[in-house]
Amino acid sequence: MPTVRLRSAAEYPAAAQKLFELSRAWFNHDFAEPPAMSRVMAWDPEFGGPHGRAMKRAMGPGEFTRGEKEMVAAVVSGVNACEY
Amino acid sequence: MTGDAIWYEAAQVVGITNALNVAADGLGALGPVDEPGAPAETRALFAEIRAFYGGSADVPQGFRFIAHDPAYAAEVWAAARHAYADNRLTRRFKEALAFAVSVTTRSASGAAFHLAEMRRLGVGQPGVMEIAGVTQMFSSYTKMADTLQLEPDMGSIAPVDPTPAPGGPAQ
Repeated sequence: MPTVRLRSAAEYPAAAQKLFELSRAWFNHDFAEPPAMSRVMAWDPEFGGPHGRAMKRAMGPGEFTRGEKEMVAAVVSGVNACEY
Repeated sequence: MTGDAIWYEAAQVVGITNALNVAADGLGALGPVDEPGAPAETRALFAEIRAFYGGSADVPQGFRFIAHDPAYAAEVWAAARHAYADNRLTRRFKEALAFAVSVTTRSASGAAFHLAEMRRLGVGQPGVMEIAGVTQMFSSYTKMADTLQLEPDMGSIAPVDPTPAPGGPAQ
């Protein structure tokens, strides 16, 4: 069980709703609620904003495909034993 | 990146990379096998490893430590060669995975080795930084998720692969 109460998207300010739209587009998936990590990142835009932009820069098109990078991300998560 | 086969390949790369890094970083007390004085099978093994890595003069240190048992080292190499070879995933990408694993597990020797292999196989500095960035960012996400004990909520995105195991009957 999470150590914090994850707020529903409706409890976030308007500026965060734009971030949730970006999250939906990023994953190309219509979530009932934005992913937990998206809601965590939207809690503090001064951290979540640059962190998210760094992630998008790393994951964007380049020498490796988005799919390959998602696999690298999954591998790093697995090696870190992160169930999420 | 759909279908389970590529994920099995990735898991092989993760596993054998960690195994080789453990040997390279942790078995130094054994000392490396003296190649000129080693049995013919060991010298042949080292020659095969060098050829696989483009004729490099350096056999990865982990193999020099485990080659005190040549038969064991040969089996480890057979598994490693299969895992790193071009298959559904390219060798170039597998080296990127191995680099990410090595960085994440703090294996400086593994990170240096697989970085050199990435470059040898044509990955430029921008590509290296892409993998470094993904590795670093997801080292952040994972620790935040663990700290907050977030529960998985994106498992339904990926489709289930209905195909049988290789050679097995379709269900």
